Amino acid sequence: MVGYIIRRLGIAVIVVIGVAAVTFAMLHYVFPSPAYAALGPKASHVAVLAWDKQHGYDRPVLTQFLSYLGNLVHLDFGYSYKLNQSVTALFKENAGRSAYLTGAALVLSLAIAIPLGIAQAVKRNSPLDYTMTAWNFALYSMPSFFLGLILIQIFGLDLGILPVGVSDQITTTWQAITHPKQMLLPIVTLTAINVASFSRYMRSSALDNLAMDYIRLARAKGLSERVVLTRHLLRNACLPMITLVGLSIPTLLAGNLLIEALFNYQGLGLLFYNALQAEDYAVLLAYTIVGAILTVLGNLIADIAIAVADPRVRLD
Amino acid sequence: MENALRVTNLSTEIQLSRSTVHPVGNVDLAIDEGETLGLVGESGSGKTLLALSILGLLPNGGHITGGSIRFNGRELVGLSEPDLRRIRGNDIAMIFQDSLSSLNPTKSIGEQVAEPVRLHRGASRREALARAVEVLDMVGLPHPKEHLGDFPHQLSGGMRQRVMIAIALSCEPRVLLADEPTTALDVTIQAQILRLLDDLEQRLGMATLLVTHDMGVVAGRAKRINVMYAGRIVESAPTEELFRAMRHPYTQALLGSIPRLEQDARLPLLSIPGMPPDLTELPSGCRFAARCRYATDQCRAQEPPLTGDDPNHVFSCWNPVDGPVSAQAPVPAPTPARPNIAVVQEARQPAPPADGSSPLLEVVDVVREYPVTSGAILKRQVSSVKAVSNISLDVRAGESFGLVGESGCGKTSLGKLIVGIEQPDHGHIRLNGREVFRLRGGALKRARRDLQMMFQDPYGSLDPRMRVNAILREPMQIQGIGSGREQDERVRTLLDQVGLPLNALERYPHEFSGGQRQRIALARALMLEPKVMVADEPVSALDVSIRSQVLNLMKRLQAEHQMASIVISHDLAVVKYLADRIGVMYLGKIVEVGAAEDVYRRPAHPYTDGLIKTIPVPDPWIERKKTDVAVHGELPSATDPPSGCRFRTRCPRAQAICAEAEPPLQRFGLNHEASCHFPLRQPEPGHQAASATG
Amino acid sequence: MTENAGSTSTAHASTALPGGLYGSPLDGPEGGEVQVISSGWRLAVREFADNRLAVVGLAVLLFFLAFCFLGPLVYHGNATNADVLNANLPPSGAHLLGTDEQGFDELANIMVGGQSAFEIGFFASAVAIVVGTLYGAVAGLVGGFVDGVMMRFVDVLLAIPFLFIVLVLSTKYTGTVVSISLVLGCFSWLIPSRLVRGEVLSLRTRDFVLAARVMGSSRTRIVYRHLIPNALSVTIVNVTFLIADSILVLSYLGFLGFGLQFPATSWGDMLGGAQAYMSNGYWWLVYPVGACLVVVVLAFNLVGDALRDALDVRLRRR
Repeated sequence: MVGYIIRRLGIAVIVVIGVAAVTFAMLHYVFPSPAYAALGPKASHVAVLAWDKQHGYDRPVLTQFLSYLGNLVHLDFGYSYKLNQSVTALFKENAGRSAYLTGAALVLSLAIAIPLGIAQAVKRNSPLDYTMTAWNFALYSMPSFFLGLILIQIFGLDLGILPVGVSDQITTTWQAITHPKQMLLPIVTLTAINVASFSRYMRSSALDNLAMDYIRLARAKGLSERVVLTRHLLRNACLPMITLVGLSIPTLLAGNLLIEALFNYQGLGLLFYNALQAEDYAVLLAYTIVGAILTVLGNLIADIAIAVADPRVRLD
Repeated sequence: MENALRVTNLSTEIQLSRSTVHPVGNVDLAIDEGETLGLVGESGSGKTLLALSILGLLPNGGHITGGSIRFNGRELVGLSEPDLRRIRGNDIAMIFQDSLSSLNPTKSIGEQVAEPVRLHRGASRREALARAVEVLDMVGLPHPKEHLGDFPHQLSGGMRQRVMIAIALSCEPRVLLADEPTTALDVTIQAQILRLLDDLEQRLGMATLLVTHDMGVVAGRAKRINVMYAGRIVESAPTEELFRAMRHPYTQALLGSIPRLEQDARLPLLSIPGMPPDLTELPSGCRFAARCRYATDQCRAQEPPLTGDDPNHVFSCWNPVDGPVSAQAPVPAPTPARPNIAVVQEARQPAPPADGSSPLLEVVDVVREYPVTSGAILKRQVSSVKAVSNISLDVRAGESFGLVGESGCGKTSLGKLIVGIEQPDHGHIRLNGREVFRLRGGALKRARRDLQMMFQDPYGSLDPRMRVNAILREPMQIQGIGSGREQDERVRTLLDQVGLPLNALERYPHEFSGGQRQRIALARALMLEPKVMVADEPVSALDVSIRSQVLNLMKRLQAEHQMASIVISHDLAVVKYLADRIGVMYLGKIVEVGAAEDVYRRPAHPYTDGLIKTIPVPDPWIERKKTDVAVHGELPSATDPPSGCRFRTRCPRAQAICAEAEPPLQRFGLNHEASCHFPLRQPEPGHQAASATG
Repeated sequence: MTENAGSTSTAHASTALPGGLYGSPLDGPEGGEVQVISSGWRLAVREFADNRLAVVGLAVLLFFLAFCFLGPLVYHGNATNADVLNANLPPSGAHLLGTDEQGFDELANIMVGGQSAFEIGFFASAVAIVVGTLYGAVAGLVGGFVDGVMMRFVDVLLAIPFLFIVLVLSTKYTGTVVSISLVLGCFSWLIPSRLVRGEVLSLRTRDFVLAARVMGSSRTRIVYRHLIPNALSVTIVNVTFLIADSILVLSYLGFLGFGLQFPATSWGDMLGGAQAYMSNGYWWLVYPVGACLVVVVLAFNLVGDALRDALDVRLRRR
């Protein structure tokens, strides 16, 4: 078991370095240097070259990458010339809020999707199943921001009971947590989109398991259906969900980005969006790499969680 | 006296999305305490669903449409769900065929055995686990306390089946429903489990319903047998009477079609043509009429009721038979009108070694091991599975050689080596003196014409995206033989030989049944007119009534094409029927080889003897006389086989020397050899053969 | 030369058993008649057609294709000349869905946006499927170390959040159908390659492939005759889902302002622009576009789902 974790960890480290390299290369290709960001778009060519030389942007790409890697280890993500802050400081400010938004949505969506998927599987082809499947299909096919727009229209504009965007007053994570009315629409939007895909998967996994022989044996023992579902089906049907959640990190990040942009919520996603428009290289690079690291980490945790939950997977 | 379980006129139906299936129709059966009732039928006969109906466990869309089920006088049909649940696992328990899929993979076996105890007896966790240990001990699981925390995949098949039995017995049920309890197990393990069930039944006095397709399994332990076909009970009689004087043609044909160890292998098997009916579209008359050799118009129009002069022996047939086939007519001797049988007989004389002709196929000292890797970052090889260890054998032209052994003995690996799917790590394989698999390019391709294979899985061996026409032409196209017209003609010829209609050519594999697909696979293997054909478990995946069709076909075609064949199977009866010579394999070694009759009648190796003794024979008188479990214990790991003689850990005759030295190969008659320190027969004095040559 | 398998053994007609002991009493081949289920493709089409939602989905897609590409021939709305005087008009006879803030006819905009959605959807998926299939097939066939390296490379690229990198790359390239399709395709081939590789790996060990080897078939022939046709069904199902996803991502790009440049437009772009006008109550700028987007993506998903079930049935029928 320990060997399994070590092996996975080793691979993860290699992948992270690889990802950082590829991302760095791609961003470098798009934005060779932030000189224009620092000096302004009208800076002279000579000034740009001098600036590049001063800040090390004239070195070969590999050297730049290695020094970037070195900085990463010290948690130094570079400097944003547009916002005049170190990227690390920017992240620290915004990470909590993003984590709250995404985390709350993730927890809620799992809490809804798992029972929903199982219920659909148990009552297969019932009206409940058809309605929920149709509903999920529609949500699954809808861009998250469109759902957000609809909710804003209904609850924000027409009914006026919820704010249209998150107010500027919400500046800290704690404030976000304590002002549920502000956060309701963004969280609900993200949750709804996640539930659509999670419950589809869960339904399919539950259906597969319901057809299996061990469920039949459990019933033959005289267990009530409720006990069969909770004590036998639940754990086995959730196993693929662990992998799914681990693999969903990139999707969660994307959702985060869109929702924050839509609702004007001061998180990492909005930071990235603004950086895109401002062509703020350091922020873009940093967040993409952080996203990649989170993805790899997510897969790693999912792998380990599967090994813990499923005794068949406990390889050396 | 009240029956423990009495089913009267039970019918069920299952609503599918587009049709309704009637798997069980008007079934009667009764079991008393301490008695075993055998329920025999093929797949699709409805026997499993009948057992599930008793517990009210029909699948989605299924329900009982009529009849009654009385347990100790209490009516179960229409009982409320909570009441039914109190009976399940408590008064009536069930065990299933596949122990790996029937046990929850993420729960320990201790928990799973304890669960019914906690539920029905209200025991605390500790009490329940204590009872679990008790029951696991009763079913013969060694060191139960230590294994409580084990998970199902960590145990062997036999052990898992014991766990399942333990679960069923944990609350001391009055009735046990056993659905194919040993079908998925190796023959030697099967014997142990059946023995266990016998013991338990005697000790606990349960009423047991033994559901199986294997007539041999019920022959020895059921007091009565019900034969089921397409959802109906077609015959019900006490065991001896059923075997001795059956009345229904299906029972007669079924028993006549099973290859038996003691039968004369020169005669074709009785075969039941056609296939079981589709349960969504049942014929109006007798359900067996379409396949029955005695069917009349009345049979096709009207369904016969269950009748019989003796109320103990009932059957449903308008034209019943009187006993097994051989009792009615003398077995006809082969006549010259069938010249191919003469050819068969000639080919069966193993050519005496002195005549100087060399064997067609030589396998010399072949070794094949599969590496087992492990390791954190870099995979290292830590051990290897010794699938084939220094095996040598010869096959002559036109001869049929059978390889028999249980799972893990390496017979499939050997088959793959012979046709060149894999290369041996050491040793040589020669066809007509040439090491064909050392050839390259065009020479290898041409050489492959002579070594063809028929695979085990009828569903995986044909490309699902190719029509039968293309599948059958492919060998010739690859080898570049014949013009388009010639290929066409050959395809049609072979299609006819295997008994398939011409319109099959335009169809895809999924449109055929398992037996029909095996015919296609056989035709394909014969396309290139090979000198040697390897058939890997050719009939294991087929229904019992279909097997004899394919076996007859294989035998006839082998004779007509004058081909040598190597038949690989775990079923000794199949091998003995098809083969002139038999090689018995155990854990990568050939332990005995010789002429089929000789090996069967006078085995020299204890393992062969054990195999012969443990195979359930459809003959109650033979079965009842069996006392011992001839082969105990579990199969050792193939990565670390026992030192010296590999069979010693399970051999009743093993002694110290068996662990120290590999047993020498000794001769026991013409072409009969075995390697054992303490063989069952006197070896011939004189030289010991260097290798197992034929 | 050979005995007819179906004939009865006439030499034994004297025995008590009709039809003789060994032969079949039935007419026709001993193997029994073949039940006609139906040929492979017909079966798949029938399964598909049975799924009514899928048929509806297909109809919807065809309708939208006609609507977006042929519609402008019928409905001559202004989508190219800025006409600020007529900005933000509600739906009327002249403008069936009103006008946007630049005076363009909204319905015409939707048609143009639809064209880009289909074009980019198909083009990006085509790139992704072709590259992904080839890559995955090669990895699966070659196996061993090369396969490991190839798949590690895929793992690395997959770790980069798709939307992020696509957005970053979009800042460099002006938004045209081709450039966006290429950017999307460049990162969408990863999952198909994994799927195809998995399929090829499992196919390689199947008995019918082994049988071909035993018959003497060369490896190339096995690839073309057996592996690729069987792996195709995976790719076909994948294509529809890829198109659906590409259209969705395109809408994200458009919404965030990185979509297509004038004169082309995309539905996402339209929604992005319309957000500001929601409080004014200009519903026609938001809901018709959004509805079209959802319906088209939904239709692709329905068709893809049904295709997957239909092709599965072919293989599972026993």
